[in-house]
Amino acid sequence: MIRKLGFYPGCVMSAEQYAYEMSIREVLPDLGVELVDLENTSCCGAPLRSVNLLMQMYLSARNIAVCEEKGLDMFVPCALGHLSLVETKNRLNNSKELREKIVKKLKENEGLEYRGDLEIYHTVDLLHDVIGVERIKEKVSNPVKWKIACHYGCHTIRYTEAGRPDAAEHPSKMEEIIKAIGGETWNYSEKLNCCGAPLMVTHKEAALTKTGEKLKAVKDRGFDALAIVCPYGGRLLDGKQEKAGSTIGEKLDVPVFYLTQLVGLAVGRNPDRLGLNLNLSPVDRLI
Amino acid sequence: MMGLTDLFNMSKPEGDKQKELIRQLAVLGVKNPSLCFQCAKCTSGCEAMKLLELQPHSVMASVKTGFLDEMMNSDVIWACVGCFKCKERCPQEMSPVDVMFILKNWYVMSGGSLPGDYQNLLQGILSTGYIQEPVEVLDKDNKGWSREKLGLPKRGHPKNINGFMSALSQLAAEKL
Repeated sequence: MIRKLGFYPGCVMSAEQYAYEMSIREVLPDLGVELVDLENTSCCGAPLRSVNLLMQMYLSARNIAVCEEKGLDMFVPCALGHLSLVETKNRLNNSKELREKIVKKLKENEGLEYRGDLEIYHTVDLLHDVIGVERIKEKVSNPVKWKIACHYGCHTIRYTEAGRPDAAEHPSKMEEIIKAIGGETWNYSEKLNCCGAPLMVTHKEAALTKTGEKLKAVKDRGFDALAIVCPYGGRLLDGKQEKAGSTIGEKLDVPVFYLTQLVGLAVGRNPDRLGLNLNLSPVDRLI
Repeated sequence: MMGLTDLFNMSKPEGDKQKELIRQLAVLGVKNPSLCFQCAKCTSGCEAMKLLELQPHSVMASVKTGFLDEMMNSDVIWACVGCFKCKERCPQEMSPVDVMFILKNWYVMSGGSLPGDYQNLLQGILSTGYIQEPVEVLDKDNKGWSREKLGLPKRGHPKNINGFMSALSQLAAEKL
């Protein structure tokens, strides 16, 4: 099975969260997914929801159109980006007025043809539903035998009406993947709590407090590590752990991995090719 | 002391704005806020409640009562994390988060200054297509890594940047 998908990394992954991108590029081809880079992409618009919803939807729609030009379905590993694109696709299908406005602007200004009938996958449903847990399990040569907490991130699971990769209140696909690659995991009370990332734009201290509280919970619940699937969250949970710790008056040292890095380790890929040297949290304590 | 009746009398009859809000919500596929029955389930799960005192059900009450200008110009709506828990959990299928997005959009359209780093994000998108340019990141040994050094391909960018900017600036002046 080879599934060819247009790869849309979005802003944060392509500008700084390289470990997520490297591990995706390293792991997915081995699991039967060929990634095709898209050339005419931009921001998905999600960071502009508060500023201008029409701009947000235009930006999402244009990236969909860019992928549709290639005749491919799409892979969007960023939770915010995935929600923004899927939601825009729905809204343009449900409102004739909105669709006409955006489609016309795309055509007139950038010569883009929007259809909006492609599938858009995120890391969680791509690994779990398309590739499948069994297929991942077959490939495991080096099981990761740690206790790993799962953090889905708000936009991976909400809101249901938009169509999300997993259930809003009781998501379980990441856990199934962690178990398939040899890890131990369980539900914890703070699993659905926000990492605070979107607040970095306006309320930095509150954002870091939320990051700190989330990581403290993971530590207090007895986990060895945290698995994530969102570059926006990674920027804080992995990258700003020291600051988050000092904000809440705790010493935090939780190894944070992208799920694709963990899968990569388990299927025996070289840690350097998974970007593990770029994680700023103490991942080397485990590997 | 000011009683409840006085409070309601203070509210201005902002009929047009109310209608416009309901219309814009409908464009987004969201129901009329008048159906909110103040159960506060949104507030009980709100990610910004504890730290920033955001109470989505109060925002909904103010909107219903007609305090639209007050809400639009209030700092409170900028505390919303945009986590969508309120929308997910509302038993009346309301969406406080979308109401707040629209009110923030109105504030910006009315010439209000953008709080926090929004100006930079917007500037980035308008000039390069993205909120940030790829940087050289440091690993734990302070060694710098760019996309190029890591063997990652150049990321895509809007080919027709003038058309791209023109579309966005047109939309900035349009109503949802």
